[in-house]
Amino acid sequence: MAASMTESAVPASADSKATVARLSQVSFSYDGGQTWALDHLSMEVHAGEHLCILGANGSGKSTLGSILSGATAPDQGQVELMGRAVCFDTPDQGRQIDTEAYRQARRSIGMVFQNPEDQIVTTVVQDDVAFGPENLSIPRQKMLSCVPAALKQVDLQTQMNDDPTRMSGGQQQRLALAGSLAMNPGMMVLDEPGAMLDAAGRQEIQSILCRLTTQGTAVVHITHLLEQARQADRVLVLDHGRIVASGRPDQILTRKDVPALIGKPDRNPLTQSRAPGADTKTTANNHAIAMVKLSNVSYSFPNAGSKALNEVNLELAAGQTLAIIGRNGSGKSTLARLICALAAPDSGSIQVAGLPLAGPNRPKAKHLRRHNLKLLRQRVGYVMQYPEHQLFADTVAQDIAYGPHNLGYGPEQVQHRVDDAMKLLGIGDLADRSPFDLSGGQRRLVAIAGVVACSPQLLVLDEVTASLDPQACARIMTLLRVLHKRGVTIVMSTHADREALDLADQTLLLEHGETLAYGTTAEVVERYHRLLATDAAEKGATGKKAERDQADQKPLSLLARLDPRAKLVTFLLAMFTAFAISTPTQLVLALMVTVGLFAAARAPLRSILNSVKGFLALMLLLALFNLLVTQTGRRLAAWGPFVLTTGGIWVAVLYACRFMLIIFLGALLVETTTPTQMTDACESLLSPLSRLGIHTNEIALVLSLALRFIPTLGREVQAIVEAQAARGGSIESGSLSQRLHAAIAITVPVFAGALRHADNLSRALDARCYEGSRQQRTHYRLLRLGRMDILFIALMAVYLLALLLHPLF
Amino acid sequence: MSMPNSHSHTTANKDTRFNDVHSTGAGGSGRWSTKRIAVYALFVALAMVLSFFSFPIFPAAPWLKYDPSGIVVLVCGFAFGPAAAAIISILGFVPHLFTNPFGALISMIVALALSVPAALVYRRMHSRKGAVIGIVSGAILGVIAAILCNVVITPFYAHMSMAKVVAMIVPILLPFNLMKFAIHGVVTFLIYKPISTLINK
Repeated sequence: MAASMTESAVPASADSKATVARLSQVSFSYDGGQTWALDHLSMEVHAGEHLCILGANGSGKSTLGSILSGATAPDQGQVELMGRAVCFDTPDQGRQIDTEAYRQARRSIGMVFQNPEDQIVTTVVQDDVAFGPENLSIPRQKMLSCVPAALKQVDLQTQMNDDPTRMSGGQQQRLALAGSLAMNPGMMVLDEPGAMLDAAGRQEIQSILCRLTTQGTAVVHITHLLEQARQADRVLVLDHGRIVASGRPDQILTRKDVPALIGKPDRNPLTQSRAPGADTKTTANNHAIAMVKLSNVSYSFPNAGSKALNEVNLELAAGQTLAIIGRNGSGKSTLARLICALAAPDSGSIQVAGLPLAGPNRPKAKHLRRHNLKLLRQRVGYVMQYPEHQLFADTVAQDIAYGPHNLGYGPEQVQHRVDDAMKLLGIGDLADRSPFDLSGGQRRLVAIAGVVACSPQLLVLDEVTASLDPQACARIMTLLRVLHKRGVTIVMSTHADREALDLADQTLLLEHGETLAYGTTAEVVERYHRLLATDAAEKGATGKKAERDQADQKPLSLLARLDPRAKLVTFLLAMFTAFAISTPTQLVLALMVTVGLFAAARAPLRSILNSVKGFLALMLLLALFNLLVTQTGRRLAAWGPFVLTTGGIWVAVLYACRFMLIIFLGALLVETTTPTQMTDACESLLSPLSRLGIHTNEIALVLSLALRFIPTLGREVQAIVEAQAARGGSIESGSLSQRLHAAIAITVPVFAGALRHADNLSRALDARCYEGSRQQRTHYRLLRLGRMDILFIALMAVYLLALLLHPLF
Repeated sequence: MSMPNSHSHTTANKDTRFNDVHSTGAGGSGRWSTKRIAVYALFVALAMVLSFFSFPIFPAAPWLKYDPSGIVVLVCGFAFGPAAAAIISILGFVPHLFTNPFGALISMIVALALSVPAALVYRRMHSRKGAVIGIVSGAILGVIAAILCNVVITPFYAHMSMAKVVAMIVPILLPFNLMKFAIHGVVTFLIYKPISTLINK
């Protein structure tokens, strides 16, 4: 029925507006025509309208978004974007793609993707927004006004100089929107922009989208969440590559005959009654033994000011289910990691599955602790956030077998557990497939099976349904019900209320690492809603506060204002020449210059000391070594074979000081120079090499993107190491083959993760119209050597000359 | 098990992965495709991240530490050729320039000695055997480069003559570096097949 559906269902008023995209009879296949992701689909997008495309995973909605944004061309049919025919049929040559027309059209189309982090290209908010306009060769003068304007549209104007990699997902997604808006698009295509955000973040995006359309930008919003379609002007429902419904949201969302809409009933959790008998079960278990018990547990991350968890108490009886709710960053994941002994608390006691993990009862002897940890791995299963990132083996069955195998079960036992886990999750038919060929939802199920196969008594899950479609969510909920019936204790962190209500015996609400409410689910969830409501009311007030913070910012120091090229070259020279220091005069000179530089930087000594403290320990060790191996000069003292001499002391001091000079100069350079400035400086200094055919612009971009992805990959490596450790895989112990296997189970997912980010990133670069040397990019930041820079270079040159020429006199 | 084919990108024009039926010219119009830039960037970031995950493996010399970044440059060389290996080998250690300038230079030289020859051999012999020969020859050159660099640099940090450092080669530097490159090689050999499948997807 749907293939023939055309725009006739659209309200007539829309026809009067200009069309920014027109697709007719478009078909798309990923496998050369065996199956069709889009099947003779026709649609239009009108200027200034807010169009929502709804559909389940696999309905073809992302493919449609990709075609609308000009990133992909269909196999058949005609595409017209921003008034240009980009893909069309000719009578003699068949389908034709006009890449130049596509290129022009893409300059007016913005695209925002699901993963907020992978769309960030640099480490300063305003530079990130400027990336698109730079690629469009917009003059610098114009960028200076359009970048702040775009940030204002997404309420980030007060955070222009912040580091986006440290922002929340919701803020990052708003930044991605701003990066697109700064390019002044006629149409924005957003592919599930809220899928990885919490409720508050989604709401922010939603309200920005509504504002955009009033400014004349067409918004195409692709989503599987019905709630996000309500504010649209028009809704299209996609199923199996066809449009199955189209019209105003109030007409569409109430229809009962649209299969794609029935997957997830849109109901308010608070009005739902509990399953019968659930309450009696809670009381019946009251006297059972505690599976998880935390008393006064606090935890803070290394180098972090505030506590991630503060004085948390909880007690969960065997067989019960606990839901941990709270906003992003409230401490939910940290609590899950502590329960699985993947991190140790600063204070308080933890007992899990009968094993004391922290507190006075924790065994002192190392071998006992190791034994306890081994028992814990057998008893406790951990499903990390986005657990599909841990998959590594050639086949699904092999991956699921990894945990049971590590726990030392024989081949038959392993097979039995793998089969059982696959049956529980309904993925038996995937056993011999590669986990990397599966859909996102299937991969999630396989990863969970890999934990369930270890038959844990306690299962800890961290936001297990995040960004899944309703069908996959439902399957996971069924699994949890079955495990609950089998007597498995469950701890799950979540911000989707329905799951918490349906399954939990008790619920814990965390806010800024503290327990805000703990008790029966209905009460705690109600408290959570009150929290979110007051939060929304305070939104206006925080905007003002941020503006005040902005006003409080200190002006940049002398050193921070210098041209980064001047700093980079002189600092590196000063660092390398530190090894040439060998007399007291040279040493004093170098120390004086370093102190002077620190003064000019008004450098926060504490943060620099903090960043170099690891090296200071190494330096002391080296000093001790030098003290004892050098035996020149006067003898001062001797203990057995160790002789202390004046020469030894001088050498120890000299070498330690050289080392210290280098470390401190390096730290000062990094502290006063943003990564963006550093890359700009590298690009400028390397540019002569481009005459030799070396792609210096591209290399500079590679370096800049790499620096920006360090924190992302660092966190991911850590998470994978922990997840595999929870499945009993460790490089530090076991036989050689076990260790090798553990190394593979970590490295393969780490590489897979890097490639996944690369894939998203390349699409984000395309969406921002990066074309390398083909375009004449303009620059948001100007590098210009001023008088101050020349003076600085001259002073540093005098110092370097004095240092190097000193031995001659 | 045979090593699957991987694309060797010697020049941008051979960047064929985007020239399929669905290409709209996006990502492929620069000298380097955006895909290539993104993959290089993530491999550089991975080398940087892993270079900080260092730990001692040789009890006799706890100051010599193993870090897995060598695996990244080897894999990159196999997948994208010697030029890519060189870029990752150099850029991957840039952050260390600001904490340990000579150490960073040594790391770059050793990574180049390891990955570029391995990538060159593998490009000629695109098979499992070629991978083994590539890894072994890269490892031999890497060990030699590491030892030579250590002899030169150690006197900068410790008050020792070069002769004393040379005396350390057989008991300390050689066994440590053999261990290090053996781990690099074995892990790379085992993970390259699944990873190249992912790269070529």
